[in-house]
Amino acid sequence: MGREAARQPTTEIHDLSKASPVAEKPLLSVQGLSVRFDGAPKGINVVDDVSFSVSKGKTLCIVGESGCGKSVTSLALMGLLPTPPARIVAGSAHFDGRDLLTLTERDRADLRGDRLAMIFQEPMTSLNPAFTIGDQIAEGIARHRKVSKAEAWERALDMLKKVRIPAPEKRLRAYPHEMSGGMRQRVMIAMALANDPQLLIADEPTTALDVTIQAQILMLIRRLQEETGTAMILITHDLGVVAEVADEVAVMYAGRVVESGPVEAIFEDPQHPYTIGLMGSVPSLGRRQGRLATIRGTVPPAELMPKGCRFTPRCPFSDAHCANDPPPLAEIKPGHKARCWYAPLELHRGAA
Amino acid sequence: MSVMPANDIILEGVDLKKHFGGGGLLSSPTIVRAVDGVSLGVNRGETFAVVGESGCGKSTLGRLLLRLIEPTGGDVRYEGRSILSLNKNELRRLRRELQIIFQDPYASLNPRMNVGDIIAEPIWLHNLASGREKRERVADLMRTVGLLPTHSDRYPHEFSGGQRQRIGIARALAGDPKLIIGDEPVSALDVSIQAQIINLLEDLKDRFGLTLVIVAHDLAVIRHMSDRVAVMYLGEIVELSDTDALFDNPLHPYTQALLAAIPVPSPSNRQPKALLQGDVPSPAAPPSGCRFHTRCPHARALCKEQHPGLETAPDGRQVACHFWREIQGAGAGSISAPPPSAALAKRLALYRTWRERQDKPVATSP
Repeated sequence: MGREAARQPTTEIHDLSKASPVAEKPLLSVQGLSVRFDGAPKGINVVDDVSFSVSKGKTLCIVGESGCGKSVTSLALMGLLPTPPARIVAGSAHFDGRDLLTLTERDRADLRGDRLAMIFQEPMTSLNPAFTIGDQIAEGIARHRKVSKAEAWERALDMLKKVRIPAPEKRLRAYPHEMSGGMRQRVMIAMALANDPQLLIADEPTTALDVTIQAQILMLIRRLQEETGTAMILITHDLGVVAEVADEVAVMYAGRVVESGPVEAIFEDPQHPYTIGLMGSVPSLGRRQGRLATIRGTVPPAELMPKGCRFTPRCPFSDAHCANDPPPLAEIKPGHKARCWYAPLELHRGAA
Repeated sequence: MSVMPANDIILEGVDLKKHFGGGGLLSSPTIVRAVDGVSLGVNRGETFAVVGESGCGKSTLGRLLLRLIEPTGGDVRYEGRSILSLNKNELRRLRRELQIIFQDPYASLNPRMNVGDIIAEPIWLHNLASGREKRERVADLMRTVGLLPTHSDRYPHEFSGGQRQRIGIARALAGDPKLIIGDEPVSALDVSIQAQIINLLEDLKDRFGLTLVIVAHDLAVIRHMSDRVAVMYLGEIVELSDTDALFDNPLHPYTQALLAAIPVPSPSNRQPKALLQGDVPSPAAPPSGCRFHTRCPHARALCKEQHPGLETAPDGRQVACHFWREIQGAGAGSISAPPPSAALAKRLALYRTWRERQDKPVATSP
């Protein structure tokens, strides 16, 4: 309770700085984000014109394969991209009334771990092996709250209980290597949520875990989200995970969002050939239905990236138009967008 | 010479055990029972899968079956003959017929050898061909797995993950094997590349009449590829069954829990699920009685005391659980994968049609 009160002033300051009412405004709104790495060929951005938004209590899943720019996007939002070589060349990211991309490093450090938190894929490499779990959780609390060490530890203990770690008092004094992968990921979640963030970015939080542990962690994240109303961006390559937790989905390919929309629309009415190919590539859990559909080849290296749609060389439907002119992220149905000249496919590519 | 087994078992493990540690004066006294009394038979021409979570001993089992590591106890029989009694020369000859593909293709390819030499190595080791004939064989193998023969002078680091896995497969094929063990052959790959490799393995199996043993943790991949599945937990097989029967009606509570934990790719069918609690116990100190009893929702007093043996159900499936008959009726487990929506099915069909057309003009590119 005391902690809640201590937090109040900061929230009010945020509210004052807000220009428009809270009503339906998304918590985070990213517009036209482009990131370039020094040394990349001219005009090829690793993240190119990426836009999405997340509202309070909702989950946005960013789906894509390695190299599609999903992690770079999240690091850019957190201000964790090494600059140079990375440069944010365009775009804005309005979070709670402020543009994350133009904040000073100091302001950003105040937000990070407090209003904005992140969970990484590999809990072993993101926890410090030389400090106990308790130290590491309490450090983040003490950085952002005016609390004593004892209070910070108290809060750390609360968090371990919240993420359902057995024998939390004992675990507080344990080192990361003494815990299993699933337990470490719970610690990461406890650490991220310790300051009640408004937005949580989870980068492949369950990829390194076994399937039964993955199910536990996903359930935990969902429950905590219901309790706290935290908005979440979940980055994953696993379509099953997306279907289980997402409200909104953005499918990324080679640095661009190629399709975005509500989760039902993406799974039941996919429009972009890449999304469709991806779904055909995943073996079904039901009885076997012939060979898998595949996507030809691999993502081209930056210097061979086509001028137009970046999926052109792998797309079965592509032609010269696709190779030369980048298609816009056009609205197919309200809220459902796809970056393809020929969507919906049965209309433009059905007969031939 | 060797006696053919009745139902054409090509590779057989008999009460296989592998215990690590506890050996010498200076090594740690804890014994890890990685594989503890596993018996199984792989039929000729089938795809046999071994599934389980990390630490269940599935990879150790795969290596035991090829005698890449020596078992602590038990026997491995290939074509009815024990491979544990073979001497070095005999074993080397056997290596030609039994091959393995590893999970991390990069770590398993020598970075100082070019791809042509990597693939040619088994050919010259076994004196299968030399000179021009050898080079032709290498080019042929590269085409077979979807690589360009002109790339044979490149080094492993110049290839992507999927291409490296193709190199590993080409090398495994080079000695004309009868059986290939894939140790998580696709789990390090992106989804779209994974599908390419799965299709490739299936094509090769048909073309060369191979027997495949797939060790994996991804149940969807296993359902798609395999004919029979062995589910492992803490060094033991808890259920062994035909794939469809296992997925339609899992008997062992651990199998049921595994299936329940798979995320279902259908957002409209989200349901709360009964989840397994806790972690896999350490194989250095496995629980008494049934090793699963600490996490099992159906555990009773007997499970803690008595170790259940693998018993054969009327339909020929094997399950190691005292109470499988009762649990089976509880209705837990079987996964209902909803069919794809009409729009997705239609577009997927369209995609496949155009995809085939895409392959026709240039058949060389992967």
